[in-house]
Amino acid sequence: MKSLKKYMFNKTGHFGQYGGRYIPELLIPIMEELETTFYEAIKDSSFKTELNNLYKNYSGRPTPLYFCENLTKKLGGAKIFLKNEGLNHTGAHKINHCLGQALIAKRVGKKRVIAETGAGQHGLATATVCAKFGLDCVIYMGTKDYKRQLPNVFYMERLGAKVVPVKDGGQILRDAINAALKDLISNPKDTHYLLGTVCGPHPYPAMNAYFQSIIGKEVRKEIKPDYLIACVGGGSNAMGLFCDFLDDKDVKMIGVEAGGKGIYETETKCDHAARFQTGKPGVAEGFKSYFLQNKDGQLKETSSISAGLDYSGVGPQIAYLKDIGRINMTYSLDKDVLSAYEMLAKTEGIFAALESCHALAETMKLAPKLDKDKIIVFNCSGRGDKDLFIVSEKFNFNIYENDTCGRRISRHDRM
Amino acid sequence: MKMTHVVAGYPGMIECEKIILAMAETGVSFIEIQIPFSDPIADGPTIMEANKRALLNGVTTEDCLKLIKRITKKIKTPILIMTYFNIPFRYGLEKFCKKAREADVYGLIIPDIPINEEKHEHYLENCKKHGLHAIQIISPITPPTRLKKIAKVATGFVYCVSTFGTTGEKNKLNPKLNSYLKKIRRYIKIPLALGFGISNKQQISTASKHADIVVIGSKIINLYNSCANGKISAIKNFLL
Repeated sequence: MKSLKKYMFNKTGHFGQYGGRYIPELLIPIMEELETTFYEAIKDSSFKTELNNLYKNYSGRPTPLYFCENLTKKLGGAKIFLKNEGLNHTGAHKINHCLGQALIAKRVGKKRVIAETGAGQHGLATATVCAKFGLDCVIYMGTKDYKRQLPNVFYMERLGAKVVPVKDGGQILRDAINAALKDLISNPKDTHYLLGTVCGPHPYPAMNAYFQSIIGKEVRKEIKPDYLIACVGGGSNAMGLFCDFLDDKDVKMIGVEAGGKGIYETETKCDHAARFQTGKPGVAEGFKSYFLQNKDGQLKETSSISAGLDYSGVGPQIAYLKDIGRINMTYSLDKDVLSAYEMLAKTEGIFAALESCHALAETMKLAPKLDKDKIIVFNCSGRGDKDLFIVSEKFNFNIYENDTCGRRISRHDRM
Repeated sequence: MKMTHVVAGYPGMIECEKIILAMAETGVSFIEIQIPFSDPIADGPTIMEANKRALLNGVTTEDCLKLIKRITKKIKTPILIMTYFNIPFRYGLEKFCKKAREADVYGLIIPDIPINEEKHEHYLENCKKHGLHAIQIISPITPPTRLKKIAKVATGFVYCVSTFGTTGEKNKLNPKLNSYLKKIRRYIKIPLALGFGISNKQQISTASKHADIVVIGSKIINLYNSCANGKISAIKNFLL
C-alpha cells in the first residue's frame, strides 16, 4: 500500500481529487518557484540544521507532552495527554511553519512578507519571524477578528508589522485570505505570501504539513497513542499531529470542527463552521476541498466562538483523509468549548486557546467511554491568553464598564 | 476592437440587460457577462463590490444563463461568460457548457482554471465538445515554456493581463506593453486581447495600437455609478 506520509509529496499537489492549484495565471510561476525552492530546501542539510536550531533555541521545542492526571482521574477513563504547543514562543503551533517559511523567503531573497490571520496567532508568529529576519511585514485580518483578538493586533504592531483590517464579506479569515492573495497578485516579485494553514494552492498544504509534522514526531518519541485528537480550522495543527502517524493503522485520529451554536444555516450564513457536516466539494481561494456553500457554489459565512476555526474551507489533505476513512471528523459546540476551557483551567491550571478547547471538549466526551489503559493525545495547539476578551464576556466578567457619567472605565479603576 | 464587461444582475437584472444592449449598439466586438461569485480572487474593489451586490439581489447561476439566452436572441455581438471555476463546477461542468452553447455563447473566461488542472477537471475538453472557446489568460510573467503550452490549446483569442494586480482602473498603462505583446505574438498566432486597468480614451487608443482587442471592465461600472442620471448614455458616449 502507498504510504500516506509520502503522499503529501504528490507532484501535482492533488490529494485524491482535492488540492491542486486553481489560481490566476499570474500566480502560476510564483507557486512553481515556491515549490522548487521548498523541495530544494528540505533536501539541503544546512536548511534542516538551521530550522532545527530555531525550533530548539528560538521557539523552545520540543514542547512538553503533559499527562493530565487530574483530568484523567476526574473523567475516569482513558489516560489524557496534552501536547502543549501553547508553550511555543508566540503561544501556538503557528511558529513551526512561520520559521520554515521565513527561511524559504530568505533563501529566495524576498524582502516583503504578507500573511492572513484569523485568531491572530499566525499573524503574531509571522510578525515575529519578520522582526527576527528583518523582513517587511503586512498582516491582513478581517475586521471582526481584528476586534475580537485585539491583544494580538497590539503585539503584531509592536513587532513592526502593519495590520490591515479587511472589511469585505463576513470580515473574517476567508476575507483575509482573499485580500492576501490579491496583494500577492499585485506584488508577485518581491513578496512572499506566508500562508498560515494547510490550505491554498500547492505547495502550501504540503509545505505547511511538512513544517508542522514536528509535532507528531515529538509525540512518537515519547509515547504510543491510541487516539490523536486535534481541532480543525484550516487543519495545520491537526496535520502536524497526524502526519507522522498516518501509516500507523492502530492509531485512530479525530479532527474536531467548530459546531458554533449548532448545525443550522440559511442560504448565506452558517451558525457553525463544520465543513464536513453540511459542506460539499468546491473550488475557492486557489484549492479544491470541502466548502460551506449554497447550491450555486457561493461560499457561506461561518460562525464560531474561535476566530481560528471560523473558516468556510478546509485543508485538502484533511478532506482526502476524511474521504478514505483515515480520520474521523466531528464537531464541538461553543458552549461545550467553554466548559472544556474552564475544566482544564481548574483541574490542570492550563488555559488552552478556544480553538484547542474544541479538541479538548471531544477528548472529554471520548475518554470516559474508553478503558483506562488507552491513551489519548490531544493537541493543545495554543494557549488561551489571546481569548481574554471573549472569555471574560462569556463568563460575565466586565473588564470595562461604564461609570455613572457614561465614561468607559476599567474594573480596576472602580475598586 | 473593444470588449466590454458587465456583472450579471448588477445593478439589477433589467438594468443590466439595458446596459448590455446599449453597449452592443455602440458596436463593441465582444461582451463579457460575469456570473457573480462570492470569492472573486482576480477582481479588484469595483467588480468585487458589483459581485457582492448582485448576490445580495439574489441572482442565481440559472438567472444569469437565462439573461444570456435572452440577450443572444436580441443582439449579434458575441457573448462570453466570465466567472470563477466553482460556478460551473457546482452546476456540473458538462451541463454548464451545454447550456452555454444552447444560449449561443462564444466562449468562457475563467481565471482560476489554469491548464495544469486539465487532467483533473477536463475543462478544455468540455468546452471543445460543446463548441465554446476556452479563452486562455496570459500574464507579464508567463514564461516562454508555458506560452508554448498555452498556444497549443488557445482558441478564439487570448486574454493578456496588462500588468500585475487585480482588475480595476489604473493611472498608467504598462510602459513595456509593446515588448510584452510582441513576445507573446512569437508564440500565439490568434488575436490578443488586453485587459486590466484600462480606464480612459487615451489608454484605449494606446492599447489599440498594440493589441487586437481592448478590454474595458471596471471603468464601465464606475461610469455607471458616478453619474446621477443619464447613466447608460454616459457609457455609450464613452464607448463611441
